Amino acid sequence: MSRTLEVFWVPLLFLGVTLLGGVRVAERVVFVRPPLSALVLAVLLLTALVRCGAFAPQRLMHAARSTIENLSGAAVLLTMFAASVQAFNSVIPETGLPRLLAVVFLVVLLLNTIAASTDRTHVLRSTAVILGSTYVIKFIVLAALSDPAGGWLQRVLLATLEGVTLGTLTQAPLALVSGYVSFVTLALFLVGLILLPRRHESSALVPAN
Amino acid sequence: MRDGMVRAIGLAIVVSGFGGIVWIYARQPQSLAEATGALSASVGAYHADEQAFADGLRFFRHDQFAAARLAFERADPAHQDARTQFYIGYSYYREGWGRLYVDRDLFARGLDAVNRAIAAAPRGRLVVDDAQLQMRSGDELKAELETGLQARTEVNPFTIVRRQRK
Repeated sequence: MSRTLEVFWVPLLFLGVTLLGGVRVAERVVFVRPPLSALVLAVLLLTALVRCGAFAPQRLMHAARSTIENLSGAAVLLTMFAASVQAFNSVIPETGLPRLLAVVFLVVLLLNTIAASTDRTHVLRSTAVILGSTYVIKFIVLAALSDPAGGWLQRVLLATLEGVTLGTLTQAPLALVSGYVSFVTLALFLVGLILLPRRHESSALVPAN
Repeated sequence: MRDGMVRAIGLAIVVSGFGGIVWIYARQPQSLAEATGALSASVGAYHADEQAFADGLRFFRHDQFAAARLAFERADPAHQDARTQFYIGYSYYREGWGRLYVDRDLFARGLDAVNRAIAAAPRGRLVVDDAQLQMRSGDELKAELETGLQARTEVNPFTIVRRQRK
């Protein structure tokens, strides 16, 4: 990881995710604060990334580095954690049963990823699938169910979910732009994860100059 | 440039960026005008447009409430001036008050405005020096709006004995 990446690009990328992760556009723009469950999920994701070697915090902070180097390493770690919290905040449904199910689903998947402790590629791919599938559930499936105007997808889903009380599933409708913002947020987050220093590179991470 | 200097600049950018994000999530600005207005208000540099405020006040006194709100909005686009927000809240109260009913939507908007006014006032104490108003404090207006909103139905014949506080 080069010095410029460590000092500027990666933290700024993660700050962008932190900013955009809570943006919801409906009648007005709301910056939704993350639920506590997003903090737990972020800790689990961080654990999974460290265990598989996709992220090596010891390369950002260690005794051989100067104080300022360790501080900029800590900035990467903290912005990465904040971005993880906001990435989950972005895809977790806002209310009700879907929110509970999504959180349980994400916890189980992340625990499974930690237990499997696979390699970096698999964990990054798994993270993309986990976030992507929750995105689809929130912004396509639940949005279709909650659409006041209805539509073919809503009719199909209603037929599939016969017997389930719709009130437990529907969410407050969001503007289409919320989905686009969330998509960009997740894409930026995944790019940031790919840029993080991994375990198997040389431990001399940053050129001395 | 020296390594330490580059890292210090990077850290300063990250810390100020993170602080900015926390501020945005705490203040929930709805537009760039609100964001810049709130920032300048936090350093005491924000002032409402006096000409637009005077226009709004003139409309308000002639019971032209929608026009008054447009002018007040022009005077205080960042919603940071306590006095202007108080008059916006009052205009919703006056327009939403009816002999037999209250317009809950207008009262709710009025309550939002008076809450903004109280939040913008120093230590939350808002008193407007206007002899033509029966309610001159933010607390009175807020209580009146909340009472209206707590009525069980919009149409309430019992309110016939109540008087509007002009």
